[in-house]
Amino acid sequence: MNILELKNISMIYGSVRALDDVSLSVGQGEWLAIMGPSGSGKTTMMNIIGCMDRPTAGSVLLEGEELSGLSPSSLTAIRREKVGLIFQQFHLISYLTALENVMVAQYYHSMIDEREALGALERVGLKERAKHLPRQLSGGEQQRVCIARALINYPRLILADEPTGNLDEANEGIVMEIFRRLHGEGSTIIVVTHDPEVAEEAQRIVFLEHGRIANVVRRDA
Amino acid sequence: MICRMLMGALLRQRGRVLTITLTMALGASLATAMLNVMMDIGDKVNQELKAYGANLSVVPKSVSLISDLYGASDDGAQENAAPEKYLAEDEIAKLKTIFWAFNIVDFTPYLQISAKVSGPSGTVEAQVWGAWFDKHLDTPTGESVDTGMVRMKSWWDIEGAWPARDDPSGAMIGASLASKLGVKQGDRISVAAGHLGEAVVSGVFHSGGSEDDDLFVPLPLAQEISGLRGLVSKIDVSALTTPENDLARRAAQDPNSLSRHEWDTWYCTAYISSIAYQIEEVISNARAKPVLQVAESEGAILQKTQLLMLLLTVLSLACSALAISNLVTASVMERSAEIGLLEAVGASASEVSFLVLAETMIATLAGGVAGYLAGRGFAQIIGHTVFGSAIAAKGLVPPLVALLVFAVTVAGSLPAIRLLASLRPAEVLHGR
Amino acid sequence: MTRRRMFFKMLTYSLLRRRSRMTVALLSVAIGATVLLGMAAVSYDIPRQMGREFRSYGANMIFVASGEEALLRVDAAQRAAALIPPDELIGLTPYRYGIVRVNMQGYTAVGTDFDQAAKTSPYWSIAGEYPKAGGEILIGADVAEFTKLAPGSSMTVTGRAEDGTRFRLDAKISGTVRTGSVEDGFIFMPMPTLESLMGSSGVAEVVEVSIAADETELKRIVSEISREVPEISPRLVKRVTQSETTVLSKLQALVFLVSLVVLVLTMICVATTMMTVVLERRKEIGLKKALGADNRRIAAEFLGEGLFLGSAGGALGAVFGYMFAQAISMNVFGRAVTIDWRLPLLAVLISIAVTIAACLLPVRRAMDVEPALVLRGE
Repeated sequence: MNILELKNISMIYGSVRALDDVSLSVGQGEWLAIMGPSGSGKTTMMNIIGCMDRPTAGSVLLEGEELSGLSPSSLTAIRREKVGLIFQQFHLISYLTALENVMVAQYYHSMIDEREALGALERVGLKERAKHLPRQLSGGEQQRVCIARALINYPRLILADEPTGNLDEANEGIVMEIFRRLHGEGSTIIVVTHDPEVAEEAQRIVFLEHGRIANVVRRDA
Repeated sequence: MICRMLMGALLRQRGRVLTITLTMALGASLATAMLNVMMDIGDKVNQELKAYGANLSVVPKSVSLISDLYGASDDGAQENAAPEKYLAEDEIAKLKTIFWAFNIVDFTPYLQISAKVSGPSGTVEAQVWGAWFDKHLDTPTGESVDTGMVRMKSWWDIEGAWPARDDPSGAMIGASLASKLGVKQGDRISVAAGHLGEAVVSGVFHSGGSEDDDLFVPLPLAQEISGLRGLVSKIDVSALTTPENDLARRAAQDPNSLSRHEWDTWYCTAYISSIAYQIEEVISNARAKPVLQVAESEGAILQKTQLLMLLLTVLSLACSALAISNLVTASVMERSAEIGLLEAVGASASEVSFLVLAETMIATLAGGVAGYLAGRGFAQIIGHTVFGSAIAAKGLVPPLVALLVFAVTVAGSLPAIRLLASLRPAEVLHGR
Repeated sequence: MTRRRMFFKMLTYSLLRRRSRMTVALLSVAIGATVLLGMAAVSYDIPRQMGREFRSYGANMIFVASGEEALLRVDAAQRAAALIPPDELIGLTPYRYGIVRVNMQGYTAVGTDFDQAAKTSPYWSIAGEYPKAGGEILIGADVAEFTKLAPGSSMTVTGRAEDGTRFRLDAKISGTVRTGSVEDGFIFMPMPTLESLMGSSGVAEVVEVSIAADETELKRIVSEISREVPEISPRLVKRVTQSETTVLSKLQALVFLVSLVVLVLTMICVATTMMTVVLERRKEIGLKKALGADNRRIAAEFLGEGLFLGSAGGALGAVFGYMFAQAISMNVFGRAVTIDWRLPLLAVLISIAVTIAACLLPVRRAMDVEPALVLRGE
């Protein structure tokens, strides 16, 4: 069964067609990369997949549930339950420690469990840095905290926006290693990027151009 | 380039600039309003205190003590009284020619006679006062003045009304005398002291003082009854004065003890003693006595009020200055990312500080100008609401407000600039 | 760990670890509360304080005998005075008049209590001293001028007592009094001295009373005295009471209006500062929304911060505001300010309300922005 189904979605901002009749299915456990130049509709696509925006036309099904008609507050609830977000700028809360930043996600989701949050940090290799504030962490470490935070609620879908955009090569390697491990554990991952090296790791690469799917490359099978 | 950056920042971040401008405008309007009110409060309260009546009483120099005394009266002596026991009515207009003529707010002459007053329930020996009720006067300097008891006895409780301006026989009668005579508004009463006169009661008043036993008639009528044509026995004067100080007290004892310079200062200040001195200069055979109950208390209350307003102004200005500089700090802090970027592309800390300061300064100056104008409006609203008259705009206020705006801006920017100088661009840009 | 603890943890760290911002915000609330309490206390206390200053105009109530009686009994006046609240009574001075002669010239002699006269008529300008011993007198300035006598010299006062017998008193002039009105022609002496000359005691023509109260309260006192002590008829001195009401109400309106303007401006200042501090956190709000926080939850967090800043700043401001009002009161009136205990409470509550309102307004605006836009848009 497909975890995500986009059917003929369009997104129109004024006179600009950011997405033009796009259809896409993502299977359970799939690792998908979305590529494209600036202005191709990547961000719009990510906003729709991440339940942060609704398309002007077309329907979005997440685990069979129709999203396009939902109110912003219902979308928020679904985002909370099913999507884990990873950002290019990490977006950690500056006045909370790494551990607390992970716990914030628990707090908004359901129950606080400090041991579990510590476990999530351990999985990204940051158990020792748990009590540090974001400004005391390197870029790579901040991104790993961001990933731990995205994973803490066992999301059905992990959505990463240029996860390595602000990282050096060594940290990029660490982050990709984590993604590979997650994929191995059966998580569904969608990475939006314009770095071919990052995209290469995915099973399928979707190329966007002018709001349409220009090309799809399957790397496995 | 600095100019282009400035313009860009000012025009394109309109919301942020507007916040500072608006707040500074509020602060400047507060400062303007408070300073204007504070500087004018003395005059305004002084006007209000006129409600307490005359603060100067002008009497003949050689007034017999006895006639002034409680209960003792020299009836029958009026007809052949020596004219030096009286003041001349035609000299009254000279009050408006003295140095401080402008400060003389109101004045009323009185002619005091003892007379037999008869009404429906009998005849009583009473004090009768000839007075100006509502008088129009053309002064020697060409001004015209409206004055009289109407303006000086504002605390009287009146049943009926003051006599009309040219009514030759309208009278005001004290409540206890009225009840003794059994008269009310509209009744005729006869007054006899040498000659016989008739008056019509226009109003009955309660004053809560000894006047409640007296009768007030138009001055010409009293002069006719007593035969004292053109004469008055005292003049009540209400003047705006400056609170007394040491100089004024010494002068009040003996003006001749002052040095030439001190004398000039005293003479050209609106002390009650100098006004009294000037009145004695123009009205022959007169002695002007400050009525201490009014004069002293006025001084005390004026000083307290001025001090109160001064303290309120200083404290509230200090508070709003703090609040505004605090806001400037907050808004500069908000821009740390942008400033970090500038430093990252090579701007030195001092260049960035200059940019921030210049930008804030332009925003606050605009706010200061707008605030000054609004503050003038505020002051007028306060003046009209409280005193029913406009508050004079003082020339000292604009430079003071400008100084305040400048100081507050610099004080507000400094902590923020210090904070920004300590930022490391890399950290800011990485959002740590 | 419970969710509530997490909430407080986030709150605490937001306050503690963003110190410079929070200091700015706290300072602004504290300044606002200082002005609020200071101004409120001043406008609340000024009429009372100023009212005391107005007592320098002298007596605002007089007692005379009711009916046709010319003299009233001093003990009745004392009973009437007992009906006036003690903290409002400034002074109560009996005056008794008699006719005396000095060198064949007739004068009015006045017997009074000089301690009380100094309180009810503070405007009397005395050269020399008030009489202390029985044989001392105080003469009016006009009398002094007419008789060419100065303080320290003596004066022989003669006259007839009530029963017709002649009396003679060799008195020492302790001082002269100048008021600019009738008192300048009087001869004042201690009440027992006049009583021994006149041959009767315990009576007075008039009793002057100075009461620190507004017109409504004075009217209440008048009606109470008329009811309880019928032999006395209390009268308001209209010239003093009426004028005081006029001037005082204007002063009060002035202080009130000025306070209102200052308050509104300061509150706007506080609100703008809070907004600036909160607006800086748009990105954080967007992130929390992206993490799945609903609007209510985010609002609750800022509400908590606002509550803390408002109550801490408000409490701090209440202390400073008290000092503000005290400074004014001590400097202007030389008396401590009295503050209604509800005022500080009100100041803290208003600070909280303004802070919360100022926090939530920009938060709501930030929440309306879609989370994605906030995250992407730098």
